[in-house]
Amino acid sequence: MFTLLKLIQSIIKTLHSEGTPGQVAAGIALGSALGLTPLVNVHNLVIFSLIVLLNVSFGGGMLGWALFVPLGFILDPVFDRVGAGLLTATSLRPLWTSLYNTPLVPYTNFNNTVVLGSLTSWLVLAVPIFFAARYGVARYRATIGERVRQSRLYKAVTASQAYNWYRLFRPN
Amino acid sequence: MRMKIFRWKAIGPLLLLLVLLGILMWLFAEPVARQTTEEASTELLGTQVDVGRLDLLPRQASVDLGALQVADPFEPRRNLLEADRIVLKLNPEALTEKKLVVERFSLQGMRFGTTRTTPARPVKGNGFAPQALRAVRRWSQQFDVPILQLTPIDTIKSLVLNPAQLGSVRAAQGLLARADSTRQTLEAGFKAVDVKGTVDSARALADRLAATDPKRLGLDGTRQAIQSVQQTLQRLDQAKQQLSGLERNVKEGVRLLGSGVQTLDEARKRDYAFARSLLKLPSFSAPDIGNAFFGKVSIDRFQQALYWAELARHYMPPGLLPREDPGPKRLRASGTTVRFPKERTWPSFLMQVGQVDFSIADGLLKGAYAASVQGLTSEPALYGKPTVVSAKRDAPGSTIAGLDIGAIVDHRTSNVRDSFAAKLRGVKLPSFDIPGLPFRLSPGTGSAALTFLLRGDQLGGRWAIGSKQVGWGLDSTGARSDLEQVVWRVVSGLKQLDVTAQLGGTVKAPKLSVRSNLDDAIAQRLKAVVGEEVAKAEAMARAKVDSLVSDKVEPVKQRIAAIQADATKRVGDQQQQLGQVQAALEAQLKRLTAGLAPGITLPKIKL
Repeated sequence: MFTLLKLIQSIIKTLHSEGTPGQVAAGIALGSALGLTPLVNVHNLVIFSLIVLLNVSFGGGMLGWALFVPLGFILDPVFDRVGAGLLTATSLRPLWTSLYNTPLVPYTNFNNTVVLGSLTSWLVLAVPIFFAARYGVARYRATIGERVRQSRLYKAVTASQAYNWYRLFRPN
Repeated sequence: MRMKIFRWKAIGPLLLLLVLLGILMWLFAEPVARQTTEEASTELLGTQVDVGRLDLLPRQASVDLGALQVADPFEPRRNLLEADRIVLKLNPEALTEKKLVVERFSLQGMRFGTTRTTPARPVKGNGFAPQALRAVRRWSQQFDVPILQLTPIDTIKSLVLNPAQLGSVRAAQGLLARADSTRQTLEAGFKAVDVKGTVDSARALADRLAATDPKRLGLDGTRQAIQSVQQTLQRLDQAKQQLSGLERNVKEGVRLLGSGVQTLDEARKRDYAFARSLLKLPSFSAPDIGNAFFGKVSIDRFQQALYWAELARHYMPPGLLPREDPGPKRLRASGTTVRFPKERTWPSFLMQVGQVDFSIADGLLKGAYAASVQGLTSEPALYGKPTVVSAKRDAPGSTIAGLDIGAIVDHRTSNVRDSFAAKLRGVKLPSFDIPGLPFRLSPGTGSAALTFLLRGDQLGGRWAIGSKQVGWGLDSTGARSDLEQVVWRVVSGLKQLDVTAQLGGTVKAPKLSVRSNLDDAIAQRLKAVVGEEVAKAEAMARAKVDSLVSDKVEPVKQRIAAIQADATKRVGDQQQQLGQVQAALEAQLKRLTAGLAPGITLPKIKL
């Protein structure tokens, strides 16, 4: 419950003051990788580090994660087929064979159909997600953003102590 | 204002998070590894595997396992193997490629066939091992193991048989349909050849020429007549060739119908056996008695060997093509994990040398033993040598007791070959019940040998037990029939037991034959006591089958005989007619050409 509250807080904050629509959209695009691909994998550690280290909206990242988790579950069969298609492609076999026999690379689980399929799909979708999110955030702020800012819920959320910790990752 | 790309102040918290993750991994690595090992091994072997303790020794690149139990997939209350301690020395270089290469393997405190405190859980799901277990169980059920019937013989008892149950009735119906179809095909063949039309027109020409004087025809008339004869002869020749083709069809059709009639006879024999089985008559056939007594226990041994061979074939496939396995279990879909073996690299799994030293503290098998496993790998083509397993007494001494095990699993090429041989002397052989009879056999201490070979689809195996201290137990509950008492008197007097079971054929169509020293003794005794009654009952069963089958089978046989005779006769008659008319025409041709002037040559016609 506490986690959920924090998430809602983060989402609301994200959509308002922290960062430009581009920073929020970049966070969402990176966070979507956490949702679309199986979480416990090395590439997600890299993605998470990027969300933390790059000057993108951390809240945006969490929002992207939350939004794309259900989509990831729904699209798993598609990712499985995409990954299987790539891994069984005769033309790509030398590449996979080489990677499979390279130290440390097999720990990325690239040779799993769902991992490879979802990661590839995310790479393809990341740019459209970025532009769609940037447009969406800008439209939100221009239309209902101010009314939400004046609401009691928003004020209650921003008054929370946890918000102070969150501010640490707020984009500059 | 220029926007910053990096958020430098977040490095600290990120590092803190990574350190926390590292600590968590360090704290939970061993329990997680132990649980994963248990789960993966259980899924791989299709039987519950318990690991009591798992210690990771990163500095030595080793894993130390304790209290290992591998349940018997065919007997959940028993452990196939139990070991106090297993130390695996891993290859660190291969580990960086996520490959498990066991350089050395040592096992201490090994015990076989121990009783489990709690029965093993059956492995569920659609993994390969559970599927293989189910398949092997189905495989073992396809053997027709008879049960020695020793119920009282009642020759007056009426035998109720439904014709629909009898195979010969069904076979007769099928054969009748085939016979009609063959007859129609042959009829169509005769019509297509139209020998009658050809013969009639040729005969008409021959008759017409016979009534003509060649001298009155003139040169052109003679030439035309000769050409007509030659064309007709050509048609006759074509008809002969067609008739030859038809003759072959007739012979083939006759042969097939003949084999169908043989099938009918075989079906009737099976019906006799079926009717006999309804009367529950005892068998005097020694092989049947051997099968009835020891068939099930023999199949149990062979099915275990086949199960492990099937697992080895699946997990150790030949060749270097990519391999697909189910992905890891997680909330998200597991997907498929593909392995990409490459020449001159490590296989995904390899146990280079495994040394197992174990000792048996007491009993006839007392002593130190040494076992070794070499080249157990998931990619035999990469390793390049077959897997070899051997176990024998380290210090040979006693000749009356010992253990000798050897196995070779050669999956380097597509010509896969698995062989296993085990010889045990001076061991306490397990007791077992005789199926369908209230007897329990305790072979006592004796010898056992099992050899098993699987080459492609070809099966071969031999299981033998021998003992001179056999004990027999009789279930004291319930009344005993006279025949059971007869057999009991025979077997209870025997102290020596020699059983040999031979397995052959293919995996899909295996053959089992079992012989023992009990077979002849029981057969002779039974024959002496109830031979006459059994013969009467058998005659009654045969008569009953004949009465139900004859009116359905005999007409079919007669119909087939008629079709065969008619077709053969028609072919012969038509060949004769063609021959006669051809001779007549050739005579006319000779007569016509006799009047031609010298130097006039006839056109050449290929005949």
